[in-house]
Amino acid sequence: MKNSIKVERAKKNMTQQDLAELVQVSRQTINSIEAGKYVPSTVLALKIARIFGVALEEIFELENED
Amino acid sequence: MKKNSILNVPLLPPGWKKLAMVFFPLPVLLVIGLAVVYPDTNPDDAAQIIYGFWAIGFGILNLTREKVEDEMIREFRQQAFQTGFFWLIWGLGALMLINYIRYQTIASEMFTAYLVLFLLNGYIYAAFQYQKYLASKEDN
Repeated sequence: MKNSIKVERAKKNMTQQDLAELVQVSRQTINSIEAGKYVPSTVLALKIARIFGVALEEIFELENED
Repeated sequence: MKKNSILNVPLLPPGWKKLAMVFFPLPVLLVIGLAVVYPDTNPDDAAQIIYGFWAIGFGILNLTREKVEDEMIREFRQQAFQTGFFWLIWGLGALMLINYIRYQTIASEMFTAYLVLFLLNGYIYAAFQYQKYLASKEDN
């Protein structure tokens, strides 16, 4: 699953640490999600979408291999 | 979402990692001390003492909280327990095979609860650290 968290962060001038604190996870977890190494739970994905004020599907997108 | 309390595993505060580290050199010193005081000590008993202490050390490490215990770490922890058990089964199978080739018997006195607990906890710890390493490398 690919995502556009990095882009959304850049739009809001937000660091990984800022986002991590807002959704109450570690910076490492945000980094792993951005790098596609970790797929977040539905709850965490919804929290991230809410922070950026966009729909879930605008940030997370299924790939063919999913 | 509420979790079933009976399935909840309480984790120790991060400070317990320091205590766990004491359990690694301690049995070695204990065995050396025993060998000096009681020169007739059975080497197998010495090995069991070391396995037992190391099993406790790894057990504490496996049940100690990370600084940030978020969902990724929880997933790593669950995967580590599953992977550790998988490696244990294959490891014990390999030991049995080696034992059979060398002594033509499957059972052996070397398969003690201390050894199994040490291997299981050691494998779980290794699997957990390996996942953390994979997550931390190639930082963006």
